[in-house]
Amino acid sequence: MARPGFVLEVDERTPPLLVHDGPRLRTEQFPLGTEVVYPPDPATPVDDLTEAIDAACAHPVGSDPLADRLRPGMRLTLVFDDLSSPGVRLRSPDVRGRVVERVLTLAAAAGVDDVVLVGARGLERRSTDTELRRVLGERVFRSFHGDGRLLQHDAEDRDGLTVLDPGGDGAPEVAIHRRVAESDLVVLVHLVTRPGAGGLELIARGLGSPATATAPRAVELIGAAVPVFALDAVVSVQRYGGRLEFLGRREWEWGLAAQGAYQAVSRGLSAAPSRWADRLAGGREASATVSLVTAGDPTAVAAASAAHVAEHLRVQVDGQADVLVVGAPDPTPYSIDSLTNPVLALWNALVPGVGATTGTPLVREGGAVVLYHPLSTQFSALHHPSYVDFFSSVLPVTADPARLAEDFESKFAEDPWWRNLYRTAHAFHGVHPFHRWYELAPVLAHCGDVVAVGADRAAASRLGLRAASTLADALEIVAAGVGHSPRIRYLRNAAPVSADVR
Amino acid sequence: MTVAPAETFQRATAADHPGPTVDGRLRDLLAGKVIVMTGVTGFIGEQLLWKMLVELPDTTVAVLVRRKGSASARDRTLAVVRKKIFAGVREAAGGPEALLEQRIRVIEGDLPNVPALPRDLDVVVHCAGDVSFDPPIDQAFRTNVIGTEALMDRMLEACTGEDGELVRIPHYVQISTAYTAGRRRGAIGEAPHAHDIDYRAETAAGLAMRDLIEAESRTSAQLTRLRKEAERDHRAAGYLTTAADTERRRKEWVQAKLVEAGTERARSLGWTDVYTFTKALGERVVADKGAHIRTSVVRPSIVESSLVHPYPGWIEGFKMAEPLILAYGRGELPEFPASPDSVIDVVPCDHVVNATIAVCATEPEIGVCEYYHVSSGARNPITFSGFYIHIRNYFLAHPFEGGARGAARLPQWKFPGAASVERLLSTSERAHALADRAVLKLPRSERTRKFARDLDRTRSRLDFLRRYLSLYNEYAQSELHFVDDNTLRLSRSLDPADQPVFACDTAVVDWTEYVERIHCPSITAPVRRLDALRRKRGSRASTWADLSSDEGMRRAKADPEAHRVLAAFDLDGTIMSTNVIEQYLWSRLPELDRAHQLAELGSVLRSLPSYLRVERRDRGAFLRAVYRRYAGADLAALEEFVDTTMAGEILGRLSPDAVRRVREHREAGHTTILITGCIRPLTRPLAPLFDVIVAADLAVDARGRCTGFLTGPPLVGESRAAWLNHYASLHDMDLSRSFAYADSHSDLPMLSCVGRPVAVSPDVPLMRAAAGQSWTTVEWKIRPQNSRWTLSRLTAEERTDPPELTGAPSGDPSPAPRPVRGDS
Repeated sequence: MARPGFVLEVDERTPPLLVHDGPRLRTEQFPLGTEVVYPPDPATPVDDLTEAIDAACAHPVGSDPLADRLRPGMRLTLVFDDLSSPGVRLRSPDVRGRVVERVLTLAAAAGVDDVVLVGARGLERRSTDTELRRVLGERVFRSFHGDGRLLQHDAEDRDGLTVLDPGGDGAPEVAIHRRVAESDLVVLVHLVTRPGAGGLELIARGLGSPATATAPRAVELIGAAVPVFALDAVVSVQRYGGRLEFLGRREWEWGLAAQGAYQAVSRGLSAAPSRWADRLAGGREASATVSLVTAGDPTAVAAASAAHVAEHLRVQVDGQADVLVVGAPDPTPYSIDSLTNPVLALWNALVPGVGATTGTPLVREGGAVVLYHPLSTQFSALHHPSYVDFFSSVLPVTADPARLAEDFESKFAEDPWWRNLYRTAHAFHGVHPFHRWYELAPVLAHCGDVVAVGADRAAASRLGLRAASTLADALEIVAAGVGHSPRIRYLRNAAPVSADVR
Repeated sequence: MTVAPAETFQRATAADHPGPTVDGRLRDLLAGKVIVMTGVTGFIGEQLLWKMLVELPDTTVAVLVRRKGSASARDRTLAVVRKKIFAGVREAAGGPEALLEQRIRVIEGDLPNVPALPRDLDVVVHCAGDVSFDPPIDQAFRTNVIGTEALMDRMLEACTGEDGELVRIPHYVQISTAYTAGRRRGAIGEAPHAHDIDYRAETAAGLAMRDLIEAESRTSAQLTRLRKEAERDHRAAGYLTTAADTERRRKEWVQAKLVEAGTERARSLGWTDVYTFTKALGERVVADKGAHIRTSVVRPSIVESSLVHPYPGWIEGFKMAEPLILAYGRGELPEFPASPDSVIDVVPCDHVVNATIAVCATEPEIGVCEYYHVSSGARNPITFSGFYIHIRNYFLAHPFEGGARGAARLPQWKFPGAASVERLLSTSERAHALADRAVLKLPRSERTRKFARDLDRTRSRLDFLRRYLSLYNEYAQSELHFVDDNTLRLSRSLDPADQPVFACDTAVVDWTEYVERIHCPSITAPVRRLDALRRKRGSRASTWADLSSDEGMRRAKADPEAHRVLAAFDLDGTIMSTNVIEQYLWSRLPELDRAHQLAELGSVLRSLPSYLRVERRDRGAFLRAVYRRYAGADLAALEEFVDTTMAGEILGRLSPDAVRRVREHREAGHTTILITGCIRPLTRPLAPLFDVIVAADLAVDARGRCTGFLTGPPLVGESRAAWLNHYASLHDMDLSRSFAYADSHSDLPMLSCVGRPVAVSPDVPLMRAAAGQSWTTVEWKIRPQNSRWTLSRLTAEERTDPPELTGAPSGDPSPAPRPVRGDS
């Protein structure tokens, strides 16, 4: 059993605490009495991953063993998460590659010829060959890529979709990747890092048409149409691996070497030009350890994984705070090897940050959020072309989700240039910023003031935030809403946590 | 042989006889007379006309006016009498046309091509002249000597009967300048200046200079020099642009040489500049031609705004001191090479006008030319430092609104003397020239552009200082004062009723009142109005059309002619950051193994200096040289490589602002065109953005391998303009309403051929060209996501695979899944 997360109350002896500030790092001396929510240490890893995978496949939940479900001449499709699913770039060998390799070995042993790998990218960007190579490993990539048997889903490819339900009368259509729909067995390889979607929902979101993701009947229809064997690996991701591994530890446990390394890294990053800092952050590799592998019926597997991860990440927190402080580390799940634009930075601070709870939010309604990010107005022309227009032409007009959906979303969805970039280049889908904003909007509505420390003022104001230069100033700004001695809580979000607010 | 006027310094300064006076009201003395006037569209002439119309009701005025463009003499005279000061007489007459009908005869004519003058003329007032102190030598002679001669000849003809005898004795009044005294010192009397210059010979020599210098400007040596200068700036843009610039430089050179010739000739004979020199010769013409008639010469000093009439502070246009006063008020005149104790001889315009009319009414002795100084230096002198204090006081009390940065700091002059001001100026000029050479060598960046803009601002300030200091240097140090006994006597003889109306005694001027409360407010008022207007309007870009706001897009879409509008974009540097050598390396290196990659890279690096040399000379030749390297490449493979691997690299280097702009043009219904010198395969990822892509096509042999040649010349410089023109005429496009976006000076012809050119993050020469033609300049940030060498590194990485896995996957018929070992 790994050391669980806990809540620290800042007293006189508490050292300055680490805060993620976009691509950079800083330490902050929090006011006395601040409650700091620490994530748990990584869960105890399985002894041998290969054995664990084999064991899961041999003894699945709610299903026959995988080997029994494989037969010669069948059409087998392996579906794997794209980059944004663990939300970080994993140090190779990637767990997904290990799992896929084991499944392929079983398939080869069973004499299955017709195997296709499909990346469930949904509306995310296409991975590059190099990225696929990293995720799947050199051998799998080599064997499948040249033959055209390594595919990435394309939600806009009408010819590549099988319609399960044409929709109509206000109900959205349900259509999924043709190969997946026509497979005799789909093996769904998924990494679980935090509580969230799993099972057949992954197919609806990652392998459907744009409308399928939100269609209420999607899971039911997919379950009826496609035989799925789910293979979940619960992983503990440590954002910083290697020599920076100490950054995931608690500050008072940093030894002399760690303290020295911190000084060197943080000063180096502050002194470096922002493009270097961005590049360093964007290309950072996280390490992952697998604590549980489950296989079998998608719903049962998803439930088992969710229970496991929820139990591990749970930190009991006492009541709601007036002010929640969060750092926003780069890269976000959507800006790996890319540039973090202001919309994504805000999403990253508020949605996984403020939303890291089992239910009750960490901050009270009308309370304030203080976040750290420079919010530089930089956009990746390659990955986020529609964000440029969303930020400069749409946000100044409205930030109201209803109006966004009404007036702008369809234009972004149907734009031929963005559609072309999504399909052929490496761009996120045109509506990607809208979906992130829909996720953001309820959090923004729940909080009163949101103040960004060290942020570009113009960008902050465009997003509806206020900018402050220091934490003290930020607390001063929010004092109008929460008073001068608010209850402050800092979410030290280097790793996922799930706060159980009682 | 001419003798320098220096010899005459010892001569008596006072006139050798008392000047004539008037007896009676001027309106009575001049009643029934016909006065012919020149220069009525000028500063003094306009007020003279006004004064005559208002105060001499029974006098007829005939004005000699030059045709200007499509405006006839009558139109121009009408424009004069429509001005505000004429409101009273205009209304009394019943409108401007009626006023012309009743009081003014318009004679269309030019100096020196004067038409026949009315035979009933009594007085001719010649106040036309050059306003500039440094006209080209031939122009100065033509206006001031030949013009005067011609006018007097026509006047004499008009007064001569058929038998060749004078039938009436006209009075010829010449407005000259007190500074015809030249570089003399001390008191200057109201008498002819002693010199024995043969004005006819001088005039002939002066006029000949034009042909001489024109011929010299056309010698091969001179043209070669000018062409080389033009090429240094414009070679990249093409031959026609260079040629146009060479011709412009030649004309400028001719002009400058003619001015120089004038100034040097004047100085070699003892005058400060060609203006005063030819004016002095003009006085001699008057004396010669007027041997049998009445002649007078009025010599005002520095004429500034009116003291009383038509209203205090009346002035038209900017005269001598105004640019300096305004520059001082803006804090741009750090020091002035004046002697603080020298007298600055300023006279209000209405005094000059009044004195002139009084002179018209006198009856000088036939054959004796009378001279009148209208000046203040003799009896009411103000020193340069005194004048400076008044101006400083004025601006301290009423500073110019300085915009965002507050009012400018007023420099405090120490009058260190001409030599040290000159040193300061020439040091600054040298420093500027050095910096200017340096800025052209700096890499292109926003900082370089800002630096260049600052340099240009300094340059225009230095040019201003240089020009005005060299012009006025002498005047600011003059140590002469003009005796004005004749004018004073004339003024005192005026009828008491005329005294206030035709006042011309400059002793009454209170300098504090005049400079601080009349002159300065009057000349700064229009500048302040303009400043306020500019602040209100802001510095809005002029060739930019708003397409990003809803309103702008609606307007653009509503345009019924939108389908005739095109938007042409340059690629490299405008919408994408790369260059052809980089593109070559991207596209070729992946085909090679590591060792060959290094060899290829080395070979490109070795050729780099020669490429850069070629590019400086001719962009087209440079492109051909680089594209020669594609020889042997498989075009189809290259295209596939671009689609699969390079597309991301290319799209990641696009400027988001540029893409937005292209898309906005498409949405507005415009035809979008990409014009580039780079090879067509590389433009493939951009194809969905553009309706037309013009790029270099690689020629291929029968096997589909590139030959290293292009199928046609690469489209650079002027060819782009030619292509656009041709395209526009083929497809009925309206270039005057079309757009072009480019970043470098070589694209100047392309930008020039459309109505809405926009310079995008330009190099310094294009930035200057854009500023000169008030084109919009925008900064489109291009922030490549990956570093320059990523692609070659990635592709190199892929090459170094484990050998057992490098079997050609596409050629292998064995079915998937391949056996993979699970124990990695």
